[in-house]
Amino acid sequence: MKVAISGLNNTDNPAPGIGVAKGLREYELIGLSYDVNEPGIYQGLFDHVFLMPFPSVGWEEVRDRLIEIKKKVGLDILIPTLDAELPLLIKYQQELENLGIKTLLPSLEQFKLREKANLAEFCEKLGVKYPKTIKITTLDDLYKAVKEIGFPCMIKGNYYKAYKALNIDEAIEYYYKISNEWGFPLLVQEIVNGVEINFVGVSNEKLFGGVGIKKLTTTDLGKVWEAISIKNEKLFELTKKFVELSKWRGAFEVEAIATINDIYLIEINPRFPAWVNFSTELGVNLPKMMVDLIEGKNVEEKLNYPENKLYVRFVEENVVGFDMYKKLLSQKEL
Amino acid sequence: MLIKEIEIDENNIGYVPSLGLSFQMNETAKKIIELLKENKEQKEIAKIISEENNIDYKEAYIDVEDVILKLRVMGLL
Repeated sequence: MKVAISGLNNTDNPAPGIGVAKGLREYELIGLSYDVNEPGIYQGLFDHVFLMPFPSVGWEEVRDRLIEIKKKVGLDILIPTLDAELPLLIKYQQELENLGIKTLLPSLEQFKLREKANLAEFCEKLGVKYPKTIKITTLDDLYKAVKEIGFPCMIKGNYYKAYKALNIDEAIEYYYKISNEWGFPLLVQEIVNGVEINFVGVSNEKLFGGVGIKKLTTTDLGKVWEAISIKNEKLFELTKKFVELSKWRGAFEVEAIATINDIYLIEINPRFPAWVNFSTELGVNLPKMMVDLIEGKNVEEKLNYPENKLYVRFVEENVVGFDMYKKLLSQKEL
Repeated sequence: MLIKEIEIDENNIGYVPSLGLSFQMNETAKKIIELLKENKEQKEIAKIISEENNIDYKEAYIDVEDVILKLRVMGLL
């Protein structure tokens, strides 16, 4: 079984691919990279590494590269882990299947209902609380929205980035910062005071496995550095409702804020988070579960895991021949 | 109430398992939290703290208020 995994960056902005690969060491692993400088390439986790065209160049190029990889080394299963890849691969998942490349991905409809701009409506269907959120596309909208919501508030991109604005100057600064990079719409969101908690899971119309955590420390980019495993009944119920109502297929990460009496859904990421190896270390190997589901194996539900376990990231070094780097750069494969 | 969930260990570290929330406290705060868990009122707790520690009631009342405020900020009360 040959499994291709994307998202090999492993800096202070780690992609999920390395965490996914750590759970799948028993397979022949193919790393799909977009940059020869991604540290995960050189960690010795992958049997092969291939440079990929950016998803923005379009399906034909991505498809042709995957066909080429399949011909060269074989490719049975693809686990994409990057937000930028997902819309394209979700759209063409049937074509991938026809090429003999299996995935476990949500439908385009499922993918869209958890987009930030649609999440309020989805939360209503779920019967889950969601912070008051106003979609904006102009500066005038921003003024109106912050007047209604008040400060502090969150200024968010529809796909990426979120900043806490304390006043109108900051709100305008973030409005331009996010829209220049990621476009419109933006969202102005009420801040809910509480504790942020997260849940990673894998489902195929029903929840097969998952783990809840509380982030203890994060990097400047908001990426988890230390976390603790928790069991929170409200978070678990919310997650189950989300999976049941959406009939979600694939990996996901639920981000929520727990207050004294309630839980608010903040975001649903349609992929594994970079800390997914925490679940594997706790005995819930979600990447392996995903592969087993793709293979049609009988997968046992695994929702029990030890609480109060501390997850700690640290920096490691590796020395490899520069030839590897040069070969990947020139031949686009290792 | 989340305050009922607070576990306090021998090093006076409070921990809320369902939220993964931890914090350090002194002996007085520990006692105040234990009394709050028994549903005692602020004035009653201040009286107990004042008597047990042989301090002025007003001072004890401020201590209790301080702990309650911090628990509210953490969303536990």
